[in-house]
Amino acid sequence: MNKSTSQRLPPLKRNWWLKHRFFKLYMLREATVLPLVFFILCFLAGMVALLQGAESWQGWIAFMGSPIVLLLNLLALAASLFHAATFFVLFPRVMPLRIAGHSLPDKAIVAGQWAGVVAVALLFFWLLGRGGV
Amino acid sequence: MSMNKHDIQHKQAFDEPLWWGLFSAGGVCFAVLLPAVILFIAVLLPLGLLPAEALSYERASSLLFSVPGFLFVGAAVCLPLFHAAHRLRHGMFDISVGNDALNKKLMYGGAALLSALALGLVVAGFFS
Repeated sequence: MNKSTSQRLPPLKRNWWLKHRFFKLYMLREATVLPLVFFILCFLAGMVALLQGAESWQGWIAFMGSPIVLLLNLLALAASLFHAATFFVLFPRVMPLRIAGHSLPDKAIVAGQWAGVVAVALLFFWLLGRGGV
Repeated sequence: MSMNKHDIQHKQAFDEPLWWGLFSAGGVCFAVLLPAVILFIAVLLPLGLLPAEALSYERASSLLFSVPGFLFVGAAVCLPLFHAAHRLRHGMFDISVGNDALNKKLMYGGAALLSALALGLVVAGFFS
């Protein structure tokens, strides 16, 4: 959308989205990136620590275990799942899939994407759940 | 309609497909990859629920500072950063914070800078 068109409309008040549940959910979804950015900054700090040496790496793990950091990252986990729930339902609308002339039901496409989430988690479990290789 | 007017109308939008494309790709990574990444690295690891050697200094270094590690950082850090930048920019527009032309530069510029830093760290670790 061209943002300059807004100049021709009466300006909205900043709290316009508080007036309807749909818009509140929209804003909540926009806000899912705030804890995401927090996690990414933590991750970047971890990469720096890893580059610095073993002691820094242990220090970073301890930092990640401090209650506020852990809480914010749990929020990021919840945000990623909420984002996933809203994002997956868009796929069949944006790109409906047809196999052999039959359109794939929306539910199947959404379920397929959740299967992807589980597959990635299983990959991580295979990689990290069994100790050193 | 004169050619000039047509140009002005579309001048601002020529780069938008790029931002929407990065937003979309980052959205897929945020939804499919990040739940597992956050669960294992930011929850199970600090709580001591992973086997002791799973992400020891040596193992974490060899996993991250590698070609797969580079691709992982691209998918788990860089693309989600552009997704976040896009949502933040539009969210700020929605609640009339700042000015969109400046927000756009700050958000996408910040995402690009942090992405370059993240990929640079992997490369630095790979050669150290």
